[in-house]
Amino acid sequence: MAEEFNMQGMLDIYLFENGQLLERLQEIVLEQKDEDCFDEDSINEIFRTMHTIKGSSGVMMFDEITKISHKLEDVFYYLRESKPDNVPHIQLVEYVLQVADFITAEMEKIQNGETPDGNSGELVDVIDKFLTAIKNGEGEQEKEIQENVYIEPEQFYIAPMATAASRFYKIYLTFNPDVQLANIHAYKTVYALRDIAEDLLHYPEDIVSDESSADEILENGFKILLQAQCTEEDLRALIQEGYELKKVDIYECTAKEFQQGFGSFGTEIRTDSGASSDAGDGGAGMIFIAPEETVKAPEKAIAPGDFVIESKEPGKGKTLAKDKPKKQEKSAYISVDVHKMDMLMDLIGELVISESVVLQSPDLKIPGLKLDNFNKAANQMRKISTDLQNVILSMRMVPLTNTFQKMNRIVFDVSRKLGKEIEFEMIGEHTEVDKGISEKISDPLMHLVRNSVDHGIEMPEERAAAGKTEKGKITLTAKTESGKVWIIVQDNGKGLNREKIIEKARKQGLLDYAKPDNAYSDKEVYQFITLPGFSTKEAVTEYSGRGVGMDVVVSNLQSIGGSLDIESTPGKGSQMIMKIPLTLAIINGIVMKVGTSSFVIETGVVKEFLPMRDYQLNQKPNGDEFVMIRNEAYPVMRLGEKYQIDGYNPDNTDGMFVLVALEDKTICMMVDALVGKQEIVVKPIPEYIKKINGLSGCTQLGDGSIALILDAAGLIE
Amino acid sequence: MYMTQQNKYVTFRSGKEYFGLKIEYVNEIVVYQEITQVPETPEYIKGLINLRGKIIPVIDVRTRFKMEPVEYNDRTCIIVVRLQEMVIGLIVEQIAEVVEILPEDILDPPVLGKEEKSVENRYVYGIGQVGNSVKLLIDPEKLLKDEDISLLEDMDETTAEATEEGE
Repeated sequence: MAEEFNMQGMLDIYLFENGQLLERLQEIVLEQKDEDCFDEDSINEIFRTMHTIKGSSGVMMFDEITKISHKLEDVFYYLRESKPDNVPHIQLVEYVLQVADFITAEMEKIQNGETPDGNSGELVDVIDKFLTAIKNGEGEQEKEIQENVYIEPEQFYIAPMATAASRFYKIYLTFNPDVQLANIHAYKTVYALRDIAEDLLHYPEDIVSDESSADEILENGFKILLQAQCTEEDLRALIQEGYELKKVDIYECTAKEFQQGFGSFGTEIRTDSGASSDAGDGGAGMIFIAPEETVKAPEKAIAPGDFVIESKEPGKGKTLAKDKPKKQEKSAYISVDVHKMDMLMDLIGELVISESVVLQSPDLKIPGLKLDNFNKAANQMRKISTDLQNVILSMRMVPLTNTFQKMNRIVFDVSRKLGKEIEFEMIGEHTEVDKGISEKISDPLMHLVRNSVDHGIEMPEERAAAGKTEKGKITLTAKTESGKVWIIVQDNGKGLNREKIIEKARKQGLLDYAKPDNAYSDKEVYQFITLPGFSTKEAVTEYSGRGVGMDVVVSNLQSIGGSLDIESTPGKGSQMIMKIPLTLAIINGIVMKVGTSSFVIETGVVKEFLPMRDYQLNQKPNGDEFVMIRNEAYPVMRLGEKYQIDGYNPDNTDGMFVLVALEDKTICMMVDALVGKQEIVVKPIPEYIKKINGLSGCTQLGDGSIALILDAAGLIE
Repeated sequence: MYMTQQNKYVTFRSGKEYFGLKIEYVNEIVVYQEITQVPETPEYIKGLINLRGKIIPVIDVRTRFKMEPVEYNDRTCIIVVRLQEMVIGLIVEQIAEVVEILPEDILDPPVLGKEEKSVENRYVYGIGQVGNSVKLLIDPEKLLKDEDISLLEDMDETTAEATEEGE
């Protein structure tokens, strides 16, 4: 049955919207996890979120999700209505998070095309007990709290917008009494009207999750109030009579009638067919009513979109949604396919290059040309294209807020499981990084935060014994420094244990026997923990200690051109500093020439440039060359030789040394000339050409020629 | 495929031979432009060109066929072909014309070597007759594959006999 609708589109929207709702939900919950209870706004918001999820999951027929969100909605309904003051807050927080996890897991299954087969039963029971407990805990329950049975006004997902051209219809559907699941058929009709409807109300209201509505529909018919800009014929085309649908009656009505809701329903139906022409007249008159009038109906300020139908009392006028807290403001965002963004980025890159081709055209060099106007226009163009570049770059930037929020959640979960008390602080979470980067740092960051919670922060007793506050603290900081984003995970735990690391390193044969232990600097020692299979934790816990992690963190960071620094003070805590580039797409590079080829290297890895003639090249017996610079020997790499470049002259003594440093290794690269420093747009080397060691991509220079981008990590290997 | 493109071939000259390439593969033809060499690649991969901001690899058809390389001059062209999602430039000595070759005018290529494998691998899948001349029809996919193709070694002799069904 469901397949008859365009499920995929709906599913996408369902997943996207609920994903956002759940994210927001976790944010609210974590924000207030340390308070004594949720404030009223949060309760309302959680309630609404659950309600929305329940509704949409019901439509999509994900029963387990519907059940569990309904249960949690019940809890918050109770909280909202009776405001009990004895709620075990932290327990509630956990339940909410568990529900969020459950739904997220189910949604993931849905997204991967699997069946959401999780069982919510257990969690529902637990929450049910919890609800009963807080209800009973209130003792003499004075006010009878009405059980929350879908009374909550349901707003359909059709955005209301009233225009003067809108017409109002009453539609009355009579189904064949033999039809099964009349509610689903009714829903199909509503769904068909969705595209044209500006506002749509129907009675019975809950046709999706309330199966008894089917009987109601069969008995009394299905009533729809529709605001749309279409004719009766259009509607008839959409709603066709058939086997299930015995009769379709469509009456045009006035805005006022429309506002009265289903109260005025039925009169026309009882009258003979002549009534429809009356209604038609009313409808025609309606067209002259200005939209303002429609909105400011005389009795009360009513906008069509605000209507909600009290399904219990269909005869009465409608209640307003106005005095309810407003839904969270929808920010004016649209989601765009990243590929389109990349395309735009490429095009702008081309534009910049063709601009320089035009502006540096040799035709302009003819003496005696009057170029005043040209230059004026050229300047204007240059300004616009620079702005354009900045805008596209900023479009790809996203704040780290979401990533940081996830860490908050991890700290909360892990610390509770381990019985540690930890305060979590975020600083500078609004720092922006390229979208691609923010996706790639999430995993490494998670590892680091888990490590801090698990290894770093001690148990409360231990902390107290060491004269520290029982509550540990983890600070997550993001800041921009020297063209890179630094993300720092800092804890005030016990710090790294130098001796233990050295001991372990010795066991694994990582130490140089000739070197005494104390000859290793702290930095060197701490670097050991980033090696594969290295873990100092004796016991493997659920969260860390398996020795996979730090090496993955480092390799993940390196893949995006980042690095990890570790600092630690015994007894005071440790600090993990991730340094990552702001963006992958554009880097700051130094353009160099070797023979006929141009190369670019990222500015960050270049330590210094030295003219070749000032230094003496030395040769080891095996032919490897090295150069002494300020009493240090650096291995020399002749780029021209390595890559067999045309026009490379090995006897050239007029070139430059470029000292390239990555982590602790430094090499001295020999190039013919330096061209300059510029921002370059990184493009991949076409797939047809196999991966070349030491090259990470290519780019276009200002004159349209191509330069190859050197990959420092590959070169140093 | 558009009707207008059916049976149309872009022909080009390399050495003494004329080759044909189904027009549906051809994106465009550009004049020779500066090529950036890429290290550590097979000899026939000449490097990269900048095609209006898109960086594409180019291969030299002559070198690919193991023929003597020739100097590039102002008649040298780059045929930009698209295969699946790959866009690649083919450097050819000279573009000839676009001709129509009907399926009935395409003959099986001469069999070179006795083994079946060489037959499978040949990049010339047919000999097209246009008036009195013949065009060697190339399968670009084979051309770009890694396998060594040196079938052209004795093509010089065979093409003369090609119209008489070759060897």
